[in-house]
Amino acid sequence: MIRLEKDGFKNFIEELIAEYAVFAPVMKDGKHMFGNISSVEDIDSSRLNTEMSPKEIFFPHSEVLFEYDEDGIRVADGEKKPIAVWGMRGCDARSLRMLDKVFGGDGERPDNIKFEDPYWERRYGDSLIFSVACNEPLSTCFCNWFDSGPHDSAGADIFVVDIGDAFLMDAVSGKGEEFLKGLSGSGKASEKDKKKAAVIAEEAVSLLGKKTDLGELNDKLKGLFHKPIWDSVSAKCVNCGACSFTCSTCHCFDIQDESRKGRGKRVRIWDACMFPIFTKEASGHNPRSLSKERVRQRVMHKYSYFVDNHGEFLCTGCGRCISVCPVNLDIREVIREVLAS
Amino acid sequence: MNDWQPKILAILCTWCSYAGADLAGVSRIQYPPNIRVVKVPCSGRVDPLFIMKSLQSGYDGILVSGCHPGDCHYMSGNFVARRRFAVLKPLLEFIGIEPDRVQFSWVSAGEGERFAQVVTKVTEDVKKLGPAKRLVKQV
Amino acid sequence: MNIQQELRDAARKLLAEGGVDQIIGWSSGSLPMSSTPLFAATKEEADDLIFDATCGSNLTVYFTKDRRQIARDGKKSGVVVKGCDARSIVLNLKENQIKRDDVVIIGVPCDGIIDRSKVEDKTGGREVLEFSDNGKNISVKGRGFDIDIPRTEVLSDSCISCVHPDAGMSDIFIGEPRGEQKTKDQYLSVEQFEELSAEERWERTKQEYSKCIRCYACRNVCPSCYCNECFVDQNDPQWIGKTLDLSDTIIFHVIRNLHVAGRCVECGSCERACPMDIRLLLLNRKVAKEVAERFGMETGVDPDAKPAMSDFREGEKQDFIMG
Repeated sequence: MIRLEKDGFKNFIEELIAEYAVFAPVMKDGKHMFGNISSVEDIDSSRLNTEMSPKEIFFPHSEVLFEYDEDGIRVADGEKKPIAVWGMRGCDARSLRMLDKVFGGDGERPDNIKFEDPYWERRYGDSLIFSVACNEPLSTCFCNWFDSGPHDSAGADIFVVDIGDAFLMDAVSGKGEEFLKGLSGSGKASEKDKKKAAVIAEEAVSLLGKKTDLGELNDKLKGLFHKPIWDSVSAKCVNCGACSFTCSTCHCFDIQDESRKGRGKRVRIWDACMFPIFTKEASGHNPRSLSKERVRQRVMHKYSYFVDNHGEFLCTGCGRCISVCPVNLDIREVIREVLAS
Repeated sequence: MNDWQPKILAILCTWCSYAGADLAGVSRIQYPPNIRVVKVPCSGRVDPLFIMKSLQSGYDGILVSGCHPGDCHYMSGNFVARRRFAVLKPLLEFIGIEPDRVQFSWVSAGEGERFAQVVTKVTEDVKKLGPAKRLVKQV
Repeated sequence: MNIQQELRDAARKLLAEGGVDQIIGWSSGSLPMSSTPLFAATKEEADDLIFDATCGSNLTVYFTKDRRQIARDGKKSGVVVKGCDARSIVLNLKENQIKRDDVVIIGVPCDGIIDRSKVEDKTGGREVLEFSDNGKNISVKGRGFDIDIPRTEVLSDSCISCVHPDAGMSDIFIGEPRGEQKTKDQYLSVEQFEELSAEERWERTKQEYSKCIRCYACRNVCPSCYCNECFVDQNDPQWIGKTLDLSDTIIFHVIRNLHVAGRCVECGSCERACPMDIRLLLLNRKVAKEVAERFGMETGVDPDAKPAMSDFREGEKQDFIMG
């Protein structure tokens, strides 16, 4: 474990920027989100969770897959430098691992189909993720439901704890270890530092709400598909895409062709199962025409289908959907209702 | 940019303004060749989306023309259209689109001369503004 | 007796004797400073009803779109409405989206709704854990802060210039009506924007709408936006692009504004629902101003008036038509 003085942070970020395209939490037009930074001053750590999740760094809302004109087809170049993300939260770092099971080549699927999405891979593949532990989780945080917590290092390459006057950094992956080896201006963390970090971690955990045991959730959901519970669960939902678009794990997309007079482009855009058009078929028939069917799909995908396919819930408990929902449809209450049924 | 020629979309109702354009033609009245005409049954058919789409696809100006109030072939189509334009035009100006980009007029089937004048005026106005940039979609 | 108790008693009575199947109202949300829609079908559930400055969502939305499952034909619903929400009811009655016999309108006097994003600005983004409201100030507490903020600084934009805080049409009115509010500068924000140059207005428009992520929360919480298929969802032909292209985004918002021209009640639900805090209402209010000035109409105030865009007068001002 390494100790980096806060005085040396500016230097550290500058060194990082020299080698990587660095993303960190920034304030953009009054919204807290991840942005490409050019200096340490750009970083804004005033809020715990960014309002938009960092999935957009690796899986942007609108991604041009290729462009074409009379001269042929061109695939856009990737970023020249590998991506480094400073200030990601543990939940978001874990969400990228989940998305990697979908887009990355190493996804374990029961059907053994291997597919690697090149657009995802070229960004996430050689990225360096610094996840910074949450010392003061929010009331919307429920990462503890997923056997994680505010000081969970899973999903990170380098796990960072802010102990006030310094950052403690610990390599989690091989990439992280490699990076820390070459890091200048840092020393080894003392036993005292480690103790301090442990105290902070304990306090952080104590701030989280009560954990709900999700052991039976998938089995419960399997028996509920045709049950009337979805009427009450979905009643207040207005079917907007705010939850899906701020979600760090929602990854459904649509493909759009944009063309004009001999040239055009194919764009991949975020889509959401909340929209009626999401499942509308060419015939005009919509297998999920009702709001409750769409809400059911979202819950099922996160807490049942993904578990069957990839062995874990497609949710990290970041709580963005809870704070953003215009009608306060709290996913925690939905889960509790399902478990109680 | 002296030789730059604007592209202007003219959406004309079939009963009055389109016939007015026809009359201008058969009377051999000269007017700038910058307009591309789209014929619609009535100015009431003109959805604001048509106008937005045209601006987006790069038209430098848009002219919508229908029958004079009271002359509508469908009795009230142009009255309804008028309310729509009365809100659309200030709203476009409000978001920062130049006022002269989108214009409305009433031209009857007998007003070939007036049609030519309207097109001349719109073309001159748009020429002064230069090529449209705002709202144009880059593909 | 306070409003809350009076509201619950009225709801209980309606459920027991009024032949009402459910009361659509608000209950406390799962977060501090939040409320959530409640569909109370029993007397016990009616005891969860609340009304305070967090009850921002316009519940008329549950009568329209495919949410007709909730307030469907033949099911009698009581609905709790603020002044703006009542105007939505009036509009939807006029547009035949709601049957008068299917709805019992419970009006409440509204003192304005708190805009969460404005409070967040005041706390510097720190999370509010406790919230109270004494009618003049709100006080918010969280880790490391405990501040009082004058209500006027955190009210929704729609509420600051609100003229009709009481439900104009109601079957039952709870509490004391506040009466019509005469605000001289009803369209102040619009007028200030109008004074900017065209370049500046365009820059501001671009800046504001480049934040949009196309989640359609604004459209979906809107009780006036009830098309079975929205024009952005039509794909044969596809009218507008669905990427984050700025011209597509602006066109979506402009056309949505025109679709609700003369039908928007300025309840501000769209603005409060927007996850990106886009100041959406500015365009709506510009349109409302034009409709008021040109046609002398306000949406949902006169139950007998046709919506402005489906009506006309022959001798209307036509200064925008080429001479």
